[in-house]
Amino acid sequence: MTQNDRFPEKAAPVEADILRLLDCSALHFTQEDSGFLTLDFEGKTYHKVSLTRLIPFYSDDTFVSVSYKIDETEFREIGVIKDIRELSKEQFELVDRWLRFKYYAPTVTRIHSIKDNRMGYLFVDADTTSGRKTICINDWFSNFRMISKKMLSILDVDGNRYYIPDVNALDKKSLSKVELFV
Amino acid sequence: MNLKIKIPDCLEPDVAADLVFSLPFDINDHSENLDGCFAVTHSHIYIYENGTLQRTYSLDDIEEYVCEQMIGSSMLCGKIGGEFVELCAFTQKYFIRYAEVAKLLDYYHTSGTLIEDNGEDEPVCPKCGLPLYGSKECLYCANKGTVFSKLLKRCKPYIKYFVAAIVFTFFTELIAIILPYIKRLIIDDYIVPQNGDLPPFLLLCGLMLALLLITWLLDFFKFRASFRVATGLSRDLRQDVFAKAQQLSLSSISKKTAGELIQRVSSDTTTVQDFLTNNGRDCIIRAFSILLLSIILIVTDPRLALFVLMPLPLVAYLTYKLDYVLDVRYGNVWRNRRNTSTLLHDILNGIRVVKSFGNEQQEISKYTDASLKWANSVTRAERIWYLSVPLIGFIMTIGQFFVLAFGGEMVLGRQMQLGELIQYTTYIGMIYGPLWWVIQLPRMLSEASVSASRVLEVLDEQSEIQDKEDAVSIDIKGDIRFENVSFGYKAYKPVLKEISCEIKAGEMVGIVGHSGVGKSTMINLIMRLYDPTQGRILIDGVDIRDISQHSLRSQVGVVLQETFLFDGSVYDNIRYAKPEASFEEIIQAAKIANAHDFIVQLPDGYNTRVGDRGYSLSGGERQRVAIARAILHNPKILILDEATASLDTQTEKQIQDALDRLIKGRTTIAIAHRLSTLSNADRLIVLHKGRLSEIGHHDELMRNKGVYYDLVMAQRQTTKMKAANLSE
Repeated sequence: MTQNDRFPEKAAPVEADILRLLDCSALHFTQEDSGFLTLDFEGKTYHKVSLTRLIPFYSDDTFVSVSYKIDETEFREIGVIKDIRELSKEQFELVDRWLRFKYYAPTVTRIHSIKDNRMGYLFVDADTTSGRKTICINDWFSNFRMISKKMLSILDVDGNRYYIPDVNALDKKSLSKVELFV
Repeated sequence: MNLKIKIPDCLEPDVAADLVFSLPFDINDHSENLDGCFAVTHSHIYIYENGTLQRTYSLDDIEEYVCEQMIGSSMLCGKIGGEFVELCAFTQKYFIRYAEVAKLLDYYHTSGTLIEDNGEDEPVCPKCGLPLYGSKECLYCANKGTVFSKLLKRCKPYIKYFVAAIVFTFFTELIAIILPYIKRLIIDDYIVPQNGDLPPFLLLCGLMLALLLITWLLDFFKFRASFRVATGLSRDLRQDVFAKAQQLSLSSISKKTAGELIQRVSSDTTTVQDFLTNNGRDCIIRAFSILLLSIILIVTDPRLALFVLMPLPLVAYLTYKLDYVLDVRYGNVWRNRRNTSTLLHDILNGIRVVKSFGNEQQEISKYTDASLKWANSVTRAERIWYLSVPLIGFIMTIGQFFVLAFGGEMVLGRQMQLGELIQYTTYIGMIYGPLWWVIQLPRMLSEASVSASRVLEVLDEQSEIQDKEDAVSIDIKGDIRFENVSFGYKAYKPVLKEISCEIKAGEMVGIVGHSGVGKSTMINLIMRLYDPTQGRILIDGVDIRDISQHSLRSQVGVVLQETFLFDGSVYDNIRYAKPEASFEEIIQAAKIANAHDFIVQLPDGYNTRVGDRGYSLSGGERQRVAIARAILHNPKILILDEATASLDTQTEKQIQDALDRLIKGRTTIAIAHRLSTLSNADRLIVLHKGRLSEIGHHDELMRNKGVYYDLVMAQRQTTKMKAANLSE
């Protein structure tokens, strides 16, 4: 199968200016050996589709864009899933697992210490959902910040993401350490 | 780059002996944590998970490697039998190393040679683990001694002023120590015993006055000498860093942002200059003061001296802690102030939008919140400051009270004279300044060391693009040949792959392809802003690495989509290409560029200021000034990079006319997203996925129905759709 055969709709592109909400019952995702997803939809097969959370800070499950690239360059959106929980159980699990992998971001559950090395780096010693970590943050004014009234986003020097979904839900000691910096 | 950073314990001895790469991985595609290892030998890939061998692949079975970076995770895939298979997944910490391994394994697949290390720089400091951001040496782990000895060498031209400043400071400090002694003599020998021997009393008073006058004079000379060193040194550092930044290759410059370079040129040089001129002089004098005053205090009364020294460890500890808290608190003040000011700027700039949507109340409440946050952060920071700084001052000087109490008792018990006590307490007052300075020194030293490392890094950096010793200057005719050229801005991500083609002198060639396919990269290589990672580029049969950069670039002209004009007049901007050009030549160039007519209508003609980046002119006007600049430059090779994009049809026509005049008789290479603008090109080079896919005339390529045909058809369809939408 050539690359062009894989994208049969190339001659008739989806209209770019219309929001196309996808019918969850018509979608069928499978996972390829490469780890990417394949979508069977309206009689067409789309390989290496990409799922994108359109509002990742507000919602994990709603407004997920489904897209692919022609020849790995030209972006094409198939449509948007309004709520992935409307997918069948097995399909939801597959899509949810893939999204969690793509947006892998451990949650910080407790903070042991936060140290500023006064050279622009912040070292956060914290318990996270993937174990205890020392998170090193550069330019902490930008990369250790509240993205809503409750949610704190952390981006470390390697590009890994961490979240505290609700800083007020942290224990008192952790909260007092965070409050010094936000 | 170290690509063997984790060797699994359970590795078979024969595999371990043959290990080439070995990297850890920490998650799977179910986002579960695991302790994995990706090991590569000369023949196989071994995937271990939690100490157990999971999969083995033969290197010969994998045709291609792809390192995919997602939002919070990444994975390495290998193509086996035409289909990609996930090899392992990992967090972003390991991405650069895996990308490097993927590139080396790809190279193995095409060449049969497995390179173990291609000399790429380490992404993180092996000592502290902090990222190096393109620096060769970690700024935080750099040997401070080496850094400062290098800096001191830069003080050489000012050494006489530096020494003079030290000598003057030495004498002022010496006088400051002598004065309390004279005071003591006056009190103990004349005031307390009510001695009426006037001439020696007046002599001592006169001596005090004279010494005060001498101190004033010495201070004047000291500051003058220090000022000379400070201004001279900072000027030298700024100029050298700026000049070096200009000489460095674009790849070196691109590793740092413009803001980063500006900081190095201005802020870091100032920090280094402040440290050297103030602390460099002070460290000798203050060490001398502490030593001398300590000897005097201990010799006079060791018990009283102990009162002075006792609180110092506590003060040092509290100062360290307080500095940290204040840094964070005032950092928050700075952040809130910046946020408030950005918000204000944003709202006022967009006031028309705010009003047109009737959102005034919403913006007022947003600004009030930000302003309140700022005020609260100031209160929090100031509260700490006013509570703790006087307290530390009190603890530091508490010894003085004990000295007064015990000293007073000694005076009353006639074990010490009053003048002696006054002299003692004066010396105590004098020693606090240098001691406070010593407590602060580690912090100042580390700040200055980081700034100095950043400055020296630029000064010591060797440009990756350098002229050879025997580089030639040639009179370019305009033949260009690419011979098997490959290049990537990041070594693990090749942009151009094995490009071979020839452009003849005087020919106009268009480069077309999708966005990001490497069109601009090709012209960057022709200008030798970067060197190919593989292959070579020849101009008139000479490898461009053998041509002096000045000779090459003085004969290559560029007109870009985003025209950059310097803040100055239209005249200055056109003349930039040829500073010695006569005014007639400048007008002639402007006429050819279709720029003269609009310049005439500007209020100050050719002397009209174009404003910051030329923003007082329209896009089309800026473009025509840039073309006039290129015409004056009279290049043998002309590069047009999307020169007519983002312009309206009328303006585009004027500019196209100007360009048509400009390209006559020159080798011209044009990039245009709108393919119709390249219809007059002699030939078109079509790039696809970084490779040269087709080359030929428009008609020929259309007949071939390949990549170019697809591009043209897709563009026509888009144009039709737009037209249909407009007519609706």
